[in-house]
Amino acid sequence: MSVPHRDEPPRRAFLRGALLAASGLIGSGSLLEQGRLLADWAGDPDPEVPNEEVARILSEISAGRPIRRGHLSLDMPLVAEDGRIVPVIIESDLPMTTERYVKSIHLVVDHNPDAHLAAFHLSPAIGSVSISTRIKMKRTTWVRALARTSDDEVWAAYARVQVTLNGCG
Amino acid sequence: MSGIGEARIRLPDRVSRGEVIVVNAIVSHPMDTGFFRDADGNPIPAYFIKDVVVTYGDQEVARFIWTSGISRDPVVSFTLRADREAPLAMTWTDNKGGVFRQSADIRFASA
Repeated sequence: MSVPHRDEPPRRAFLRGALLAASGLIGSGSLLEQGRLLADWAGDPDPEVPNEEVARILSEISAGRPIRRGHLSLDMPLVAEDGRIVPVIIESDLPMTTERYVKSIHLVVDHNPDAHLAAFHLSPAIGSVSISTRIKMKRTTWVRALARTSDDEVWAAYARVQVTLNGCG
Repeated sequence: MSGIGEARIRLPDRVSRGEVIVVNAIVSHPMDTGFFRDADGNPIPAYFIKDVVVTYGDQEVARFIWTSGISRDPVVSFTLRADREAPLAMTWTDNKGGVFRQSADIRFASA
């Protein structure tokens, strides 16, 4: 299947961060500060939280931890001709070792009737984060992928998908 | 795919010990949202896979929680570190108590 793919801001941001670190600009910064920097460098602001339902879902997933952009890519078509079948690929460069791993991936579709569309609970035995599936979308909206690590960091990636045909009824 | 619950798991043809492989799985299921009506105008009740458990040997390695937002005849692919010869089994459970199983053996190619 040939679908137009968007750029991957998280990876670009990650690269820029790496360059900054290499040039010694943030070499002495704490991991947290680097994380903030990476988030800032991602360019676009995070999509606005559209309603209380999505706010509740996000706070449930993050358990109050900051949601930062990075380490995750969400690959979706820019335009979904058929909202009944929209391909999704979620990947991450986060480690999958027994010491530290991604324990869950969440897919949130802001304007779907059931916004918290899926959760994927993982273990180090999976070896890497690379999940694909197909979802239904009601209308044009932001899609959020969130990763929660075993040490309770929360990383996110966003994609805005234009939907032509309502796939949810 | 035809009958509800019919499932397939696809593994790479050759697997080496320690390799991270891609697992592809599909199960036949209508994944009805409960928001549509049939031709006579009667609502079609929600009917969807809500839970998928992946085991490798006797170890649970992943569990997916789904809603009816996953497309009809759900496909999913994920990776697995193939570090031993053992069956990879998947169990799909729907919201009406239907339980569907499929498995595939992970074996290492002889050199």
